[in-house]
Amino acid sequence: MKNAVKIGVAVGVAAITGAALLGAQGTAQATWSVTEAAKPYAGTTIKAVYLDRPGYKAADKLLPEFEKLTGIKVTSEVIPYENTREKMVLDFTSKSATYDVALTDVVWIGEYAANGWLAPLEKFTKDPKLADPALNLSGFFPILLDSFGTWDKKLYGLPFDNYAGLLFYNRCMLEKAGFKAPPKTWDELMTKYAPKLTNAKAGQYAYALQSRRGETQSADSFMRMLWPFGGSLIDAKTFEPNLLSVASQKGLQFRQDLMKYMPPGIVDYDHNEAVNALNQGKVAMITEWSAFNGTLNDPKASKIGKCLAVATEPAGPAGIKGALGGFSYGINASSDEKKQAAAYLFIQWITSEAKAKDYVRAGGVSARKSAYNDPAIQRAYPFTVPMVKAWNQGNPVFRPRFPEWPAISEIVAQIGTEMMLGKVSVKDGATQINTKVKEILTKAGYYSGAKPKLQ
Amino acid sequence: MWKTRDRNLFLAPAVLVLALVGVAPLLFAVNVSLRQFNIAKPSLGFEWNGFANYVSVFQDGYFWGALGLTVQFLLMTIPLQFALGLGIALLLHHQDWPLLRALARVALVIPLATTPAVVGLIGRLGFDSDFGLANWVVTLFGGAKIAWLGDPNLALFAVAFMETWQWTPFFALVMLASLSAVPQDAFEAATLETDRRWLLFRYVEWPYLLPGLTAVLILRTADVMKLFDSVYVMTRGGPGSATELVSLYTQRIGFRVFDQGIAAAMALLSLIVTILLARAYIRIFYREATA
Repeated sequence: MKNAVKIGVAVGVAAITGAALLGAQGTAQATWSVTEAAKPYAGTTIKAVYLDRPGYKAADKLLPEFEKLTGIKVTSEVIPYENTREKMVLDFTSKSATYDVALTDVVWIGEYAANGWLAPLEKFTKDPKLADPALNLSGFFPILLDSFGTWDKKLYGLPFDNYAGLLFYNRCMLEKAGFKAPPKTWDELMTKYAPKLTNAKAGQYAYALQSRRGETQSADSFMRMLWPFGGSLIDAKTFEPNLLSVASQKGLQFRQDLMKYMPPGIVDYDHNEAVNALNQGKVAMITEWSAFNGTLNDPKASKIGKCLAVATEPAGPAGIKGALGGFSYGINASSDEKKQAAAYLFIQWITSEAKAKDYVRAGGVSARKSAYNDPAIQRAYPFTVPMVKAWNQGNPVFRPRFPEWPAISEIVAQIGTEMMLGKVSVKDGATQINTKVKEILTKAGYYSGAKPKLQ
Repeated sequence: MWKTRDRNLFLAPAVLVLALVGVAPLLFAVNVSLRQFNIAKPSLGFEWNGFANYVSVFQDGYFWGALGLTVQFLLMTIPLQFALGLGIALLLHHQDWPLLRALARVALVIPLATTPAVVGLIGRLGFDSDFGLANWVVTLFGGAKIAWLGDPNLALFAVAFMETWQWTPFFALVMLASLSAVPQDAFEAATLETDRRWLLFRYVEWPYLLPGLTAVLILRTADVMKLFDSVYVMTRGGPGSATELVSLYTQRIGFRVFDQGIAAAMALLSLIVTILLARAYIRIFYREATA
């Protein structure tokens, strides 16, 4: 009897507490605001990793509003892209948590997530106190959320700085040469457009493919030419190196043949050089990340002004298969809990649907579908139209995202540039890369089955 | 008894600092070089693996390529820097305008005092194919613009040029100091015997130059063996591997692939090469100096 009463009381108490909790949750949901959510973290300072690119300058323009709303102070460190991973890996492995808001390139997510360097976001997205009821993860372009933010079906970051490879071209130069529209295929670009647009004596060239050694060579130059021709670095199913396949060889040979229509020294061209060459009227076409639209439209940097136009990348026999790249913002697993929560609030806010259009207007490229449905945005930012088209038919494994990519990228960057310079033939270079890739993937345990084939 | 202890006490701070900043990291590097040590792959563990890292470095054709390139770079730059530096020193030493000498000394220090990363940036701008100074000079003589940093041979030349620009003054200043050490009376006595400039230089001045020269050669060789910043900024080792000196390759393995075990083995092998070269310099030049 006594026991029954006790149990009854216990159940009653539990029910009341439960109801109270539910009620609290209910009201929290009804009245959720970032200001309320941030109250426990007001005065917290968090540090974000920035690149010297338009999306980060755009974030800086929106920051004062966030700081005013939340009392959270967001500081930043601008790191050159080529050194970002180095700095972050050292920060992660030393557990010093210098950076709370971690910038993750699409090709780093496998490494960061598999090593436990990023905090899984579920902890925050399921916390009603922190999670914005309007978070709406399905409002992101699926390809961006999956590629930049997800590893092994777990969410580690929200897409923040998003790129699609686009064809930027000088409309006036094309018209002068008798072309009303940009090339639809790579073949057209090489056989019809390039000869008419190249005049080496006048220092004028049809096309520039940024190919400087580094990720620029491996991603922007090498991988870009593989996919449209049906080639790939590795076989999607077996993970066997695939550069000697007929299609891969065709793509790489095409790149080699196209070089006569590119400025000399193209192997020293990074993004800036390519963008500059178009801006200065030295080349007629470049394939470049959508993120550089801001720089290309900046009258202080560009001579070509209204002549600038944009389209999707040309198609190959296998379709468009344009470049995909970009960064998510995630949370450093070594940061303390308060900073993690503050960092989450910042990431959620800056990538939110509510801020998406502001972010675009400030020069960023949002990953939210809703932003680009707006005709006003489409008119003001014409590049977003081909970009959305590219994302809708994008190639999520443009570069493998597994932890072994950085080591492979180094090999491709080196031998890929040597290939372009003619120091090694296309076939021999591909053989060399294949051997190294096989070595790296064997060591990682993909072939023995020790590691699941994720990319 | 007390004396020894005092002496030790006075030496202690210096020894301690040296041990902390020199010996300890070296031992750590040796330790790392004998382990599986990839910090980006903590799941592989950090076990001892004996000489496996050294074996894989010995089998790595790119490492030997980079080492060979570094030796080629040494041969391209050091003799040139020495010749130019000596020329400048002799010109400055044998003229009678103290003001010019003072001004020249200051001017010589400027490249030396420039941060290597900035030297790299100056190089990148100077050899830019569109706006660079080098191409301005080329077009002045009616030549066509050259893609200096996009051509493997020219890129190495451009990097060597910047290295020579920065470090020739070092040779010049040390040689100038050594020349001031030549006793005036000995030089004057020799001028009574001969007026052939070459003999005066060879038998009176040259012996005084040797100790300084040996020191400079050792320092400069060690510098080139670890030359990194300016080249990294200027070409990032490219195009291809055209300017990938051994230090850039080591950094790439250590901080991009993050295989610090292999990188430590490479660094220690480079250290051994540097020590061997230093011993060689001392043998060749010091014997002559004392003879």
